[in-house]
Amino acid sequence: MSGSETAAKTVKERAKEALRNDFLRQAVRFTTDRLRNARLQAAGEQGNWEAWRERGRQIRSHTIAHLDYYLNRFAENARANGAHVHFAESAEEAVRIVLAIAERKGARMVAKSKSMVTEELHLNRALENIGVKPVETDLGEYIVQLAGETPSHLIIPSIHKNRRQTADLLSKEAGEELPTDTPALAAFVRRRMREVFLAADIGMTGCNFAIAETGSIVVFENEGNARMVSTLPKTQITLMGMERIIPTWADLEVMATLLPRSATGQRLTVYMSGISGPRRPGDGDGPEELHIVIVDNGRSLQLGDPEFQELLNCIRCGACLNVCPVYRHIGGHAYGGTYTGPIGAVLKPAFRKNVAEWDDVADASSLCGACAEACPVKIPLHDMLVALRRRKVEAGRAKRPEALAMRAYAAVMGSAGRLKGALRLGRLAVKPIARDGFIRARIGPLAGWTRHRVFPAPAAEPFRERWTGLRLELEREPAAMDPAVRRRLEEALRRRQAEKREGGDERHGG
Amino acid sequence: MKVSLFITCLCDAFYPRVGEAMVRLLARHGIRTDFPSAQTCCGQSAFNSGYWEEARAAARTLLDAFADSDFVVSPSGSCVHMLHRYRELFRGDPSAQAKAEELCGKTYEFSQFFVDVLGIDDLGAKFPHKVTYHPSCHGSRLLGVRDEPERLLRNVAGLELVPLPYAEDCCGFGGTFSVKMSDISGAMVAEKAEHVLETEAEVLTGSDMGCLMNIGGHLRHRGRPLRVLHLAELLYEGVSGA
Amino acid sequence: MADEAYREWLAGLDAESRRRQQAFLDALAAKLGRPRVTEPPPHPFRGAPDFWKEYELSPEERIERFIANFRASGGHAFRVSGLAEAARFIADKALELGVPAVIRQDEPVLAGLGLESLLPGVEVRVWNEDPAEDWIARAAGAGMGVVLADFAVAHTASIVTLSARGKGRSVSLLPPALAAVIPAGRLFTRLGEVLSRFDETGREGLPAGVHFISGPSRSADIENDLTIGVHGPGIVYALIVDA
Repeated sequence: MSGSETAAKTVKERAKEALRNDFLRQAVRFTTDRLRNARLQAAGEQGNWEAWRERGRQIRSHTIAHLDYYLNRFAENARANGAHVHFAESAEEAVRIVLAIAERKGARMVAKSKSMVTEELHLNRALENIGVKPVETDLGEYIVQLAGETPSHLIIPSIHKNRRQTADLLSKEAGEELPTDTPALAAFVRRRMREVFLAADIGMTGCNFAIAETGSIVVFENEGNARMVSTLPKTQITLMGMERIIPTWADLEVMATLLPRSATGQRLTVYMSGISGPRRPGDGDGPEELHIVIVDNGRSLQLGDPEFQELLNCIRCGACLNVCPVYRHIGGHAYGGTYTGPIGAVLKPAFRKNVAEWDDVADASSLCGACAEACPVKIPLHDMLVALRRRKVEAGRAKRPEALAMRAYAAVMGSAGRLKGALRLGRLAVKPIARDGFIRARIGPLAGWTRHRVFPAPAAEPFRERWTGLRLELEREPAAMDPAVRRRLEEALRRRQAEKREGGDERHGG
Repeated sequence: MKVSLFITCLCDAFYPRVGEAMVRLLARHGIRTDFPSAQTCCGQSAFNSGYWEEARAAARTLLDAFADSDFVVSPSGSCVHMLHRYRELFRGDPSAQAKAEELCGKTYEFSQFFVDVLGIDDLGAKFPHKVTYHPSCHGSRLLGVRDEPERLLRNVAGLELVPLPYAEDCCGFGGTFSVKMSDISGAMVAEKAEHVLETEAEVLTGSDMGCLMNIGGHLRHRGRPLRVLHLAELLYEGVSGA
Repeated sequence: MADEAYREWLAGLDAESRRRQQAFLDALAAKLGRPRVTEPPPHPFRGAPDFWKEYELSPEERIERFIANFRASGGHAFRVSGLAEAARFIADKALELGVPAVIRQDEPVLAGLGLESLLPGVEVRVWNEDPAEDWIARAAGAGMGVVLADFAVAHTASIVTLSARGKGRSVSLLPPALAAVIPAGRLFTRLGEVLSRFDETGREGLPAGVHFISGPSRSADIENDLTIGVHGPGIVYALIVDA
């Protein structure tokens, strides 16, 4: 994520625009509904889903905790396979390496399969600047590229586009009016891309997983375009986030069980390809030269950070987007970054070392926890969002009115006596604006609330003032406790005390 | 046996009738409760907004208030779940962490206390209405209270429980989120309200007044003031014949 | 391109990469707050959970499962009694589709199908039989590719092909239709049974391309409307051959 990504507006403003776009919201709702149902069904069919998630988390956490070892191992093995491996600490560095190869090769066209890292690097723009034409060959990515946009979903980049818009974009490219039915549009893309695959000087792919022990890169896809770009062009460049590593092929079974099911509900994507070096002597296809660019670009900032290291466990399945009620209403572009949805809301500020640029993206969550529940490797995204907010406050970058309000909150809530006084004051303050127990006025900090809802007026008598009377009333005619209930209560208490003695912490829920 | 009420600031100030219903239901089963008046608020709104220092100020009142309680019962799964975040909140303060740990171990959400601790899932209530239940995210997803409220509702005579479509989707409340990101929150609550109305239920119930204030407030704003009751209120109405 | 100069440049790039690698990895270790790990760390969580490793279907069940799952993914899967039946099936489909040419891998089993004699009017080519030819163009021009599966997986309904001199990746990719012959003995229950073989073989034993194919090429990028055959084959036949 380069610094050139200027968020001219806030998430709040972009969300407001998105909320006015009925088509967008309908399209996102429709597709995410299908994806989330497909995920639930696939997870159910597979069975023991929690055990798979836990194993996924264990493998990912283990690898990240030993990332230096596994990356080194991967690099050595990939070189032994005949690949050229490059290390890029920053986006600029990664771009420099890719451009140098493209220039040396005299490349005119690069055929790309889906790669979020290249989006993160804004690689297409950089290639165009030196006169190389990048062509996105994944259908959704192609649509987004023709529209001059960025992907708005990890798995379905053009989730925000309807058939009509897609047909218009493709018709313009075709130079003729194309019918709007999916097979016709797909057939055009198939024809057009065949020429691209065969003519491209360089094929460029992302990398879902990299296997340390054999130096192999593994790509999951459904269309076959990633196979094309890693089979036909003479040179292949693969961009990989440095955290994509897993130790062995055996570990790939776990990732292959989690990723497609979580992403689209498939048992496996149509193609899963393991590529170990360039074509072998005598092979009739496959690249003659394979470059693998390992990209840091802010990832290493998470290492050793107890609150964020697990972020590197992410396998980019998009399940958190599909269950997110915020994403559901505002789509991906409102997040303002390469990565969208809950994972994007954390990745963007985390990869940028939490600098001021990231504006209010971490606020775009109700912290409902649906993301963490859906995550196949159990990343606690909602906790990370809270940690980001805290760091913002600690760094003194919170908005002043909010900080003042919170200071007042602490003053009131720090003592029951002050709370009691505040409750009394509050009742008096809202009296003039409350009607039949509700406040409708759009004033002060309440305006955001009352635009969409009424707000209750405080009760005439708070619970704490009602308590004494209530207690006295109930004590006049106490009911007897069922002996069975008493036994259970006493048993629960004994159990807890016993566990406390043993040093275990009894925790129900949570 | 000391069973204490953790009433939550929201119920204290706006919905004392919820706390009252809970107290009366417990009393009917011979459970005497007390209300340690030193309690204020769990600190969640400050915690979630990133103001941990401010959250600690509120949270400490709970650590003190419930220090010698055997059980703590609360009408909010969300606020109870907040206690489970105290370990992080009080990082670097082992004595507060130990108190928090103890508090977590003895605190229960209302339906959880009845069903899981007291072993009571039939309160003998009668409520001949069509009802739908919104499972709040924090109570169900984070605290793990999923079946208990439904078990209590299924045992209410005459009550027709209509499943809420997209029940597990957040209503858009999210504490300060509803003010900070009011438009997104507004869109979320509008969709939630649509689903509630689709059920044609007469009553919407739930286990967290934050969410119910949000959904109910939106329904009233739209001129569709459905009855909105906390589960404890509904059950109390059902046993008292009110 | 001046080859010599290019190779020199590439060597320079590689040397720079190796230098950078050490600094890059040292920095990671520093962030992790420990010295560089240079010995294999204990990896207690390797592979699938234990319960899964015990999961095994009988040969009959594997065939049934493969066929059901492959069909559910939009592919065509059949069980045939022998190679002769497989050959007839493939020939019939080639004629039905009216393909001008068929390209197959250079495998004795596939040669044994005798497609040349079953398809007199159709050009049947063998991948890379003459290294002077443009085999990518041949594959692109063929209406059907025929491969012999190296392995297959019942649970995910996957055909596995490994690349080699006579086994171009293009054969299973470029033609609009693909027929895969799967000897029943190569059909396993779980993905892990095939994947762990690659660990056992080790780096030196791996081909450049290992491809798991689990149905026809598909996309749902236009209004979530499923369409098949976007880039890869839209028609895929999987023939499980007994014996």
